[in-house]
Parts: sequence; C-alpha cells; structure tokens
Amino acid sequence: MNKTLSLSIFAVLACLFFTACIQDTNFDQTEDIALTPVIELDLIYFNMNADRFFDTINSVPILTVRDTTEIKFLDDSTLQESLKRAEFYFKFTNSIPRSFQVDFQFLSELNDTTYVAGTSVAPGFIATPVITEFTENVEGENILRLTQANKVVVSVTIPSSDENLEGTLNLKSKTTYFLEY
Amino acid sequence: MRNFLTFILSLVGVFAISQNKQILYGFDDIPQSLMLNPGSKVLQKKHYGIPFLSQIHFNGGSSGVSVYDIFKNGSDNINDRITHKIFEMKNTDFFTATQQLELLSYGWRAKNEIYFSAGIYQEFDFITYFPRDLAILAWEGNRDYLGYEFDLGEISTTGDFTMVYHIGLNKKISEKLTVGARLKLYSSMFSFRSVNNAGTFVTNLGDDNSVNIYEHTVKNADVLVQTSGYASLRELDGAGQVTSEILGRALFGGNIGVGVDLGFNYDINEDWTLSASALDVGAIFHTKDVESYHAHGTYTLNGINLLFPPLNQGEPTFPYYTNLEDEVEREIPIDTLHNGYTQFRPVKINAGLSFGFGRFNASGACDCLNSGGEKLHKQDVGLQFYSIFRPKGPQMAGTLFYHRRFTEFLSAKATYTVDSYSYSNVGLGFSADIGKINFYLAADNLLKYSNLAKAKSLSLQLGFNIIIDE
Repeated sequence: MNKTLSLSIFAVLACLFFTACIQDTNFDQTEDIALTPVIELDLIYFNMNADRFFDTINSVPILTVRDTTEIKFLDDSTLQESLKRAEFYFKFTNSIPRSFQVDFQFLSELNDTTYVAGTSVAPGFIATPVITEFTENVEGENILRLTQANKVVVSVTIPSSDENLEGTLNLKSKTTYFLEY
Repeated sequence: MRNFLTFILSLVGVFAISQNKQILYGFDDIPQSLMLNPGSKVLQKKHYGIPFLSQIHFNGGSSGVSVYDIFKNGSDNINDRITHKIFEMKNTDFFTATQQLELLSYGWRAKNEIYFSAGIYQEFDFITYFPRDLAILAWEGNRDYLGYEFDLGEISTTGDFTMVYHIGLNKKISEKLTVGARLKLYSSMFSFRSVNNAGTFVTNLGDDNSVNIYEHTVKNADVLVQTSGYASLRELDGAGQVTSEILGRALFGGNIGVGVDLGFNYDINEDWTLSASALDVGAIFHTKDVESYHAHGTYTLNGINLLFPPLNQGEPTFPYYTNLEDEVEREIPIDTLHNGYTQFRPVKINAGLSFGFGRFNASGACDCLNSGGEKLHKQDVGLQFYSIFRPKGPQMAGTLFYHRRFTEFLSAKATYTVDSYSYSNVGLGFSADIGKINFYLAADNLLKYSNLAKAKSLSLQLGFNIIIDE
C-alpha cells in the first residue's frame, strides 16, 4: 500500500515536472510591441512690441527681426529613430495694425538649413487683437530633415513701420510629438 | 524601453514570488526547515548539506499579470492587451524575484542536547511595485491626460544581492516546547532601493494669462535612489571584472549587517502543535561604496521665451536652451550623495497550527524516524500564515496543509495557499531518504504546470543533504 502510494507520488511529481510547459503563447509577438506615446510640449513664446520694428536712434524702420534658439533634443539619435510625426501649433495674437510674415528656419549643427516653415499673420487693432493660428504637420521624409536640426531661427518681417506704430505681437506655440519605440 | 518591458514581462514568467516557502515550513524531515523556524523540531542527530546543492530556491511572480495575459495566441493585438493590463493593474501590484543558493549547511546535536546549525547562503531579492502612472505616461504620453497629476511617488523598488553567514541554536527546553534562534551576518554585495518617493507631474492647458499654451509642472518632487556597491562597478570594464569584484565582496568585502531569526514549536497536547518564527529581523549598514541620487523641487516649464535682442553683426543671441537647462537643474537639482544608510531586511513571519493523527510507529514497526524519542504523527493537517514586510506594507499568505509520512524514507506535504497572486495555489513537496542521502523537492502552483504561462507566481526549492540519525 505504502509502496503504491509513494510510487504514485513520484509519478505525479515526475509527470508535472516533465510535462510542465508554456502553451498557447507566442513570444514572436515581442516584435510587435510598440510604445506609441503622444507627447504635448510647449515650444517657444514671445511678446514683441511694435517699437521693436523701428530704430529710434537712426530713425529707420527695422523690417525684419530675428532670434535663434537651440532645440538640442531634436537631433538626439533616440528621437531621430522614434519620431514618426510632429505637429507644430503656433498661435499669434496681434494688436499691431500690420500683417507679418513669420518664418521658422531649422538649422543643423553646421548651420545647414534642414527644414523651413512659415506663415503670414493677420493685422490687428489695439482694442481688438486678431488671432492667427498656424499648424505645420511634419511626417515621412520631412521628419528625417527636421530631426537633423538642433536649432531654429525665427524671423518676423513687417511690410512697413514707423515710430508711431503701437501694439504687440504675441506668439504661443507647442509641438505634438508622435513617437514610436 | 521595449527591451526593459520585455525584461520585466519575461521576469514574470521565469521566476516565482515572495519568498514564501509554505511547503518547507514545518516539514521537519528536511533539515532546511530549520531555516524557516530555528525553533522547529529536529529529528536528526547531524546533517550535512551537500555543498551548493543543499538548497536551491527560486521564487518569483507578479501580482497583476501573467505571461499568458500578454503573450497568448489570439487575433487581438498584443499592444491592446498591454494597454488593457496597464489600466487594470493597480499601483500596489508588484513584480518580485527571489533566488537563494545554500553554499554550506551543517548541523549537529551537541552533548548538551542543543542542536547547532550553521551555514552560508547567497540570496538575491528583488521587488518593484507597478508604477502605474509612469507606465501610462510612457505608454500613452500626456496628450490625453491634460490636468492629470502623474504620481512620481509610485516608484518603489528594492534589490539586494547578499551573502548570509549564520549559526543557530535549537533546544527542546521542556516536553512541549522547543525554541531556537539564529544569528545572521549579512555581507551585502550589491544593493539598490528607491522607496518613499513623492511628487507629481502635470500638464495643464494654460489660460489667456499664461505665457504659453501649456504649463508642465513637476510639483514637490522628492525622489531618492540609494545604491551601494554600484559606484565602484561603473569604472570596471566588462562582465568578467564586474563579476569578480562582486564575488570579492562575499567575504565581508562589502557592507555588513546583522540580524536574527527566532522561533518556537509548542505541543499544546498530543494532537495539536503551534509554531511560529520571525526571520531576518535585522539591518544592513551601508557605509562603503554608497552613492545615492536625490531629485527634489518644484518647477513649471513653459517653453523658451525668445527676447529678440538687438544684435550687432555676428553677435550671438542669448543661450536660451542652455539657460533653460540650467534653470531646471537649479530648481530640481539631482544631488549625488555619499551618506551611508541603514537598510532593514524584509522581516518574514511564519506561523503554523497543526493537528496530528495516527502514530507513525503504531504498527510496531521500526521507529527509525523517531530517533529523538518524539511521538511522530503519521498525518498532520493544519493552517499556516506567512507575511513579509515590503516597502508598501506586508504581503500575506494563508495556507492549508496536509503532511503525511508514508514510510521511514518518504514523506510528503501538500498545500493550498491563498495569497496576493491567486486563490488557487496548490503545492506539493516530498522528502526522501535514500540511505543517508536526503533529497527534497517542493514546488507550488502545480495546477499551472500544464501551462506555466498562466501562473502569476512560482516557488521551487530543492536540495540534497546527508542526514545522520541518532
């Protein structure tokens, strides 16, 4: 009796260990695992007074003003591989009674232009500022070009200016990064 | 990131969990049951663990997800399953892995009837709680979570690679009561921990008064990662050097700690027996090769404010980006600290109540197992309780067991355990004496062995001893 019992215990245990297995699973699916986060991130902002477009010392208009900032993470190799699409959103609030041309020139570390975008901004009024929205969608081949850049030059061009010009041009902007790891 | 995820998921499948050795506890036929209760009954006169083979223990698991949940065959997409699981799991769900290897184990009964036992074992113990908010942030991003405060405090993880030197005493002090204690010296080879963290990250949509579209705010961050035995490894070259350096610390070359195990076994009457133990009541004092990283502060990011300064030809503008980086580092500094710290060991509590029936030597046959004059029962049934203290509170398990001595050389124990992982954990272990060689094997979650992928936890112990009866 005892022998039978002990034998059966051994048999059960042996069976369990030798038949233990992993079934109905497919680890090839690991290849299909994709993290696809969508990140919302502020980009640049500015507040520019109308007097910035007139040189009071020399009494001459300044038709184009520029500024540059690095965006170091843009040409990061991880981002280069994982960025599938980027959507830039620019919101201008203009109380200067002039239209503007605003250009965004993306430059590589060696100052080669890799990507450009631009828009015109509608004229506004001191009492009733006018909002201009602009969206730039970057995907496909253009992503490769965008992610070669690590800085952006922002140029604001006014068609004409004088010392009595008043108002403010405000920009708020953000980027939506569609990533895939 | 994907590799990390795969690593965590594969961990779920390969290891079993929580250090609970419910089968071995109270299994007096196996000398290693003394490691779970230094005050348990000792049946043998001497035992020698076969070096490196006397106890091999794997234990691991995940409370919220099984391999099958993620990798099952099916027409649905694996990413949908992961998404589903991330949202289903709670921040108290966890992944753990424990491994122990006994290098030496020896026990003998001295003339004063004290049973001494001593040995050395190596232990690796890891737990990480599921940082649900950060998983959502990594998996989905912040676009659909504007205004939601991601909790940085969910980061909670510890890992230890330790060598343990121990000596224990066990004595039957009355007809009914056996008590025991074990002194342990810990030699920590590698350790990291990050617990009691705090802080939130939120992206809010700005209003008309905001300077930009969003406000990204890290609020009251207080995240600390403590490591010991790590800083000196960074300078080493290659896996070989790292391995030899770590092993070099095994003989008290690293950080030292001390602890005790305490336990007793009390025969209430002829049938009922109560036992309990507290293991690893102690701490490791990390003073050497300590490096900790502490990030703290509050900061709101709005993007880059262009100022369009009037510039002369060739004059550079402000270094906006660098200034921003400096500002972030100033507001949420990551300090590297070298202060020592004390790490309490995860205390384990075991308790058992058993009812025995049927005398083993009732037939009048050889009373070989009954060497110490003990009245051994042929069969025992009972209840066991197990608890381990983890960073977010104790994890507990309850077990029903049935123990049976079949012959003088074979006994077995079956368990049914309810714990954080499941309500259907059936375990089985046996101890066989072949001559003087004792072999034991214990494994739980047997119902899952037909498909291990469905198991959320597994525990396995096996080993060889030489037992000399009186």
